[in-house]
Amino acid sequence: MSSIIEFRNVSRWYGNVVAVNDITMDIGPGVTGLLGPNGAGKSTILHMIAGFLAPSRGTLTLDGTQPWKNPDIYRRLGLVPERDSVYAFLTGAQFVTATAKLHKLPEPSRSAAWAIGLTEMAEAQDRKIATYSKGMRQRIKVAAALVHDPEILLLDEPFNGMDPRQRLHMMDLLSRLGDEGRTILFSSHILEEVERLSGTIQVMVAGRLAASGDFRAIRRLMTSRPHVFHVRTTDDRRLAAALVGRDYTHAVELTGKGLQVRTSDFGAFCEQIAVITRDENIRLTELLPTDESLESVFGYLIAN
Amino acid sequence: MRTEPVSAQTSSPGKRAAGGVIHDLGYQRYHGPRLGRSQIVAALAWHSFRSAFGFGRGAKAKIVPVIAMIAICLPAIVNAFAMSQGNARVVDYDTYTPVLRNLIMTVFVAVQAPELVSRDLRSRVLPLYFSRPIKPSDYPLAKYLGFTAACLVMLEVPLLLLYAGSVANVHGGSAVWAQTRALIPGLLVGLMWAVSLAAISLFLASLSARRGLATGTVAIVFLLTYVLAEILLQVETQSAINTVPGPGPAVGPGAGFSAGPPPVTVAEKVAGLFSPFTLFDGVRMWLGGTDHADNVHKPGAFGAVYAVVLIAVVGLCLFGLAARYRKARLS
Amino acid sequence: MLNLTVAGITVRATLGRRRAFLFAVPAVILIVLTLVLRASHPAAGAAWPDTVLGTFGFSVLLPLTALIIGTGVLGAEIDDGSVVHLLATPVRRADVIITKFAVAVGLTAAFAALPELIAGLLAPHSGKLAVALFAGALVGSVVYSALFVFLSVVTTRAIAFGLLYVAIWEGALSNVVGGVRILSIAHYALGVANAIDPDQNLQAGLGLSTSLILGAVITVGGLYLATRRLETFSLAGDPA
Repeated sequence: MSSIIEFRNVSRWYGNVVAVNDITMDIGPGVTGLLGPNGAGKSTILHMIAGFLAPSRGTLTLDGTQPWKNPDIYRRLGLVPERDSVYAFLTGAQFVTATAKLHKLPEPSRSAAWAIGLTEMAEAQDRKIATYSKGMRQRIKVAAALVHDPEILLLDEPFNGMDPRQRLHMMDLLSRLGDEGRTILFSSHILEEVERLSGTIQVMVAGRLAASGDFRAIRRLMTSRPHVFHVRTTDDRRLAAALVGRDYTHAVELTGKGLQVRTSDFGAFCEQIAVITRDENIRLTELLPTDESLESVFGYLIAN
Repeated sequence: MRTEPVSAQTSSPGKRAAGGVIHDLGYQRYHGPRLGRSQIVAALAWHSFRSAFGFGRGAKAKIVPVIAMIAICLPAIVNAFAMSQGNARVVDYDTYTPVLRNLIMTVFVAVQAPELVSRDLRSRVLPLYFSRPIKPSDYPLAKYLGFTAACLVMLEVPLLLLYAGSVANVHGGSAVWAQTRALIPGLLVGLMWAVSLAAISLFLASLSARRGLATGTVAIVFLLTYVLAEILLQVETQSAINTVPGPGPAVGPGAGFSAGPPPVTVAEKVAGLFSPFTLFDGVRMWLGGTDHADNVHKPGAFGAVYAVVLIAVVGLCLFGLAARYRKARLS
Repeated sequence: MLNLTVAGITVRATLGRRRAFLFAVPAVILIVLTLVLRASHPAAGAAWPDTVLGTFGFSVLLPLTALIIGTGVLGAEIDDGSVVHLLATPVRRADVIITKFAVAVGLTAAFAALPELIAGLLAPHSGKLAVALFAGALVGSVVYSALFVFLSVVTTRAIAFGLLYVAIWEGALSNVVGGVRILSIAHYALGVANAIDPDQNLQAGLGLSTSLILGAVITVGGLYLATRRLETFSLAGDPA
């Protein structure tokens, strides 16, 4: 039940504006986060996979078939669009059941009930969608996208409008679905979401793929930018003096709460810090890497 | 060992409070002269005027206004051609070509009014506008001014073309003066049209946030009322002719002018009140305009009622438009 | 070919909105008008049925109702984006178009052709005319619906262009310039009506076979092109 989405030199432009610029990547089973600022081309990518946009150049395949002009892919694919538009005059249950019927499922009501249960919308399912909050509307859209048990699930900014509890629940749901072997691809410009949910990220900036893979690994790959550590010891000043002399130290800053060390060589620093403190007879009370977060990765990629 | 808070780097000067810092990123406030309220209204009105013809949007937005403009100018061009062949002027200034003008203006206001009022209600940019120093009623006023100007262009340009075409084909100062004298009332009628059409169509369009629905509403209201009024008029006229045994021959809808005129029934008089176009016509004739075969009857003193109704309708529509924006401001 | 789920949603969507108001009111007005005039002018030789049924019912009610309904069955969904939920399913695009078209024809027939018949039967001495106009209105419903469904797939301004067509092409020009009739759906409908009950007042310019053939061409062509366009339906990318 595993699907591979393959991008090979895919570009998409509208007149003079290039929305997606020469993207080559593979998306496989599990949860992948598509990260990037607004206008980076994330929605364009998702719509291309979903068969609602044709690449201007390059090839995009889902297990070997092209999604463009191919309604059959929807048997295996579910899309949760970003736009907050859904048949407001139907109840939640009617909407999901109708979607199930459109997918020609053998037992539409059963499947609909299953999907609604999965997204915890059973309580509100008999109310008109027009009365739903934004988060509820998102969830009912996810239910409709899941009703036919697709292998691939695409979500465009799925956490928009959700409160923290709903967000946690949705993340939990997506993790479970990813663990089952489905291919889940979601887009976001909110770093905490992507960080928490996916191991693999694809970072897009201005239509280009800036980085892909595990975000911690990406961070480590960027050796040119210094790592920052926060160190607390019994004698910060003496440690600072010792560190300044080493060639892997970029900068040392004495703050009220300890030392902030910038180093370009992650490995060397980690090895040496223990040695130095022992030699200088300083006790190390705290050692924290401060910018392993996606924030700094992201910021760095944007700036560069 | 005592550690002191020493910053190795100096950050840019910013405000400091206990535990928080606001950095000065270098944004500058603007301290120069600012334009006032009237300039804002003027800018909005100009922008509305341009939107009414599709400027500022893609090419597709210009299709309908351009076609409408060409279509409405056609009679003037045809007239110029006919006059160059030696005929008298075939199109009047104050009525122009009634049916064509009604239809074209209906299409124009039905398609363009939603460009001005429905889209902004839907895209929720109003809070941005209203956070500027304008009064709540300024915004719809600006829209109204812009759209009235647009309708004025649609209505007066053909008249001016007609004038130009006629003047080019007549000779002698007195003939030119006659043309000019006939033109002026036509221009005034056009002004009345523009002011009223803009008010009614903007109000109707503002009732719906969907552009398509707004177009449908305006089109249906204008066309339906027009045809209804015309039907009622025709029916009443027909039956009036049929029921009066008169010495003179039945002379059709212009019966009001024959030797033994059958009385213009109340129904006939009132029928014209129910549609904007016939309303315009009634006021026009009350103010001394000429009667034509396919227009409303000369209302006589009843024409005052037409004028009052017209002013009331326009006033109500403007009031409704302002109310709509006052309500929408909060969304 | 007809997809009942799609049909159900479409009917619900079209009848449940404010749009329904727009096309219900003219139908009601037609019938009320007929009743009022019948009460006040019951004379046998009255000429008003021709005007009411012909000018109002046929030349205004039918095209405008068809316009509002026809551009609404698919256009409204495309406009607010909810069509994605329909298209992200393996339903054949041709089935979507045919179903929407069928709903449009049915509703237009119900709200324009049927009131025409009712009004015609209510009006004095116009039974045959009523049936003729009903048949013509049915043909008109079919061809108009195909045209407007096609327009709503190819442009977001379907109702604007449709209005341009109805008011200017059909309303103004076709009465002035003879050749225009060939491309005027109203005249196809009139041609059919005229064939059943020949009536000078209808001013029908086309014969029965011409009307039916041209109407069929436009219907089939419009639906085919609409299907092709729907197959390549694109969603825009990022709004930024």
